[in-house]
Amino acid sequence: MTRQLFEGIKVLELGTMVGVPYAGKIFADYGADVLKVEPLEGDPSRSEGPFLKDIPNKETSALFLHLNTNKRSITCDLSTASGKDIVRSLIDSYDIVIENFNPGTLESLGLDYEAVTSDRTDLVMGSLTSFGQTGPWKDYKGSELVLQAMAGPMHMNGDPTKEPIKLGGNLAHYHAGLSLTYACILARLRVERGGSGDHIDQSVYEAQAGFRDRRAPGLTSASYTGRSNKRGGSLGRTASGPRPAQDGYANIMAGTSKHVPAFLRLIGREDLAEHPDAKKPAPQMSTTFIEEMEASYAIWLIERTKREAVAATQSIGILGGAILTVEDLLNDPHYQERNVWEEVEHPETGSIRYPGRHFVTSGATRKQMKRAPLLGEHTFSVLTDMGYTNSDIVQLRRTKVV
Amino acid sequence: METKQETPTKSDLPLDGVKVAAITVVWAGPHCTQVLAEWGAEVIRVEPVDAIQPYSRGAERIAPREQLIEMANNGITLSAYPDFEPGDEPWNRNPGFNSHSRNKKSMACNIMTSEGKQAFLKLIKEVDVLVENNVPTTIEKAGITYDTLKEINPRLIMLRMPAYGLSGPYKGYRAFGTHVEAMIGHHYLRGYPDGTPDQTGEAFTADAFAGLLGATVITAALRYRDLTGEGQQIEMPLAEGFLSNLGEFILDFEMNDRVAGPQGNTHHSHAPHGLFPTHGVDQWIAIDVSEDSEWQTLCEVLHADLLQNDTKFATQLSRFNNRDALHKELAKFTVEYDKNELFQQLQVAGVCAGPVMDDVELLSSPQLINRGFFEELDSPVIGNYRYPGIMTKWINTPNTLRTAPPRLGEHSEEIYKELLGYSDLEYKELFEQGHVGDRYPDHLLPEFLRAPQ
Repeated sequence: MTRQLFEGIKVLELGTMVGVPYAGKIFADYGADVLKVEPLEGDPSRSEGPFLKDIPNKETSALFLHLNTNKRSITCDLSTASGKDIVRSLIDSYDIVIENFNPGTLESLGLDYEAVTSDRTDLVMGSLTSFGQTGPWKDYKGSELVLQAMAGPMHMNGDPTKEPIKLGGNLAHYHAGLSLTYACILARLRVERGGSGDHIDQSVYEAQAGFRDRRAPGLTSASYTGRSNKRGGSLGRTASGPRPAQDGYANIMAGTSKHVPAFLRLIGREDLAEHPDAKKPAPQMSTTFIEEMEASYAIWLIERTKREAVAATQSIGILGGAILTVEDLLNDPHYQERNVWEEVEHPETGSIRYPGRHFVTSGATRKQMKRAPLLGEHTFSVLTDMGYTNSDIVQLRRTKVV
Repeated sequence: METKQETPTKSDLPLDGVKVAAITVVWAGPHCTQVLAEWGAEVIRVEPVDAIQPYSRGAERIAPREQLIEMANNGITLSAYPDFEPGDEPWNRNPGFNSHSRNKKSMACNIMTSEGKQAFLKLIKEVDVLVENNVPTTIEKAGITYDTLKEINPRLIMLRMPAYGLSGPYKGYRAFGTHVEAMIGHHYLRGYPDGTPDQTGEAFTADAFAGLLGATVITAALRYRDLTGEGQQIEMPLAEGFLSNLGEFILDFEMNDRVAGPQGNTHHSHAPHGLFPTHGVDQWIAIDVSEDSEWQTLCEVLHADLLQNDTKFATQLSRFNNRDALHKELAKFTVEYDKNELFQQLQVAGVCAGPVMDDVELLSSPQLINRGFFEELDSPVIGNYRYPGIMTKWINTPNTLRTAPPRLGEHSEEIYKELLGYSDLEYKELFEQGHVGDRYPDHLLPEFLRAPQ
């Protein structure tokens, strides 16, 4: 018997922008039934872009299209009594609710965890906020930049003579969304094994403080030594790190590896390979030796493409990678051979490639990805399934509830 | 291996009763088993004591105190021991290792020896999950593949986390996190917009994602096993686990042929949006303003009347179009303030802002302390120290760190005898032959740690 990993789980998403929609996407991409409830004007990520041909259009925002594959969508105004009723009764038929309202908002709508679990114990509610449901900063405003600065490894990123720089894109929110996904599937496992659901309080701030990208280890070493990591620690290593190649940069760990003699032979410096410094750790090499190695390496590298240079050094056991752009990535033979991109058809964009699967399972199956829903695309069918009549729905539309 | 029969109660951890074997190195695999252990799994680290497992406990590069202090002066503390003292057992005092290994057990076992492999195969019968993140050929050389292990334990869930995959041109490529970052497009994207990739520094973002995603998939696979009775192999390369985090850039290329350049701290519409200097050396505050009313408030807090009245900066669009001038002007005001005081004033007034916090500063965050994020763990070989705790709170399921990071081989006797059924005599033989124990042999250690002759 085969099935999809999350098959049989029903997830109601009251989420906007990145974190909660990413959690919903992971569930939806692996077989859960995910219904997204959007405000009448749509998830703000529909207005975020980048858009097809840079023309603002709620159906062609890349951020939205990517994060909402395989979901259904209804629109609903939660500030109206009928809107609250619709969501309240939807919650009753779902296993997991994920949401990112500010702390206290769901309570003011009468839709908080206590209120919606008065007659059931199996609901899992995953709440994502900037700073958490409690604490002195719970009502402070957070954003990708601000949360990375406050709790992520930003103090370590970049050049010590310039300002620190953030990690790419919306990574703090993707990471917190993933952490929320993990918590929700854990809690659902407990429910399916006969235990209770729970209300999960995930903050982006704490996910950043526990981030394995250097922050949690850095907090541990700071606790051990009273000292902090700083920017620049990884810059300027001997014949290691990003260096210019013919078509961009390659990050090859040559001079600080155990393979310096083989590396020197590879770059045509058999003479240097025999030098006693070639067998020493980089900090003990003489300045003249380092300068000669660096100069020959610079010439060797600039005559090769970044991928050729990496392939050649990998063949003698040296760690490294080519610094790829998005274009390089999509044209890269390795990723193409492994089928990580997936063509998805959409009425506005036509068929384009999306990042597809995250992993390969030998047992569970996975289906072809379906495009993100149009705004309110499933409002009618969802309300009909809930028992609303055609005239009810017309009335709800007229009064701008849906 | 029996599925738990009794019904879990409300406060039971969801992975209570789940046993996990780990052959993991560096960051991604250990992070995966860290978060599994935090939610109840019994995680057994399978690690050699007769050889040094590289990139694990830091034992392949044990540095004396003076060198660690010099490295800290250059901004690197990730391998600095408590009070910079290696002590007699530095492999038990490495912060990179100890930050993930709390709650885990350590079983001395070298899968490359026949005694080790025999013990490992016995262990596989007893566990639900195996996690490994070595270069694909490493465990294949030891004859450990899903196809052979499932014969022993058909309910086994095996997670493999290679850098690039078990197939494809890059299958055999060796990489640390920083090299994977390059090959997934992240290094290029996170650079300075006016700089070159050699100024960006390294990051290990894909390791963090792979660890958490791996734990998510294992949990889903446990549920799948409950429903089907079947285990499975999960192949989750670091590279592939990460790609969807750059989805918006990938779709932009697909729709518009646009190759996103280095992003730095820029935003496509917010202004001001970036880091601004504050009082002191290398002190910064992040400010992110999207609405005009927030801009007005920002100017009021900073007493920046001239900026507030400047028509160049009146609307979101005009601020965005004049952002270089805006950022330059604003910096003249922020530099007069202490970053923490300015942060409080701005947030109380409703402006999205926050200081860049280094590791020492974040240890005293009032928000993290109020929410009990840090936890103390005491160990005779480490001392009593605070650790970053669990990054998710469940309102009705209190959860704390349970045990201190394990000493090398600390749980061998218990695991060999109680779980695997070795007799006292058999265990004693393994000990005498050096297969189990709690210390690496002298010849693998630097001079200053060897026993006096």
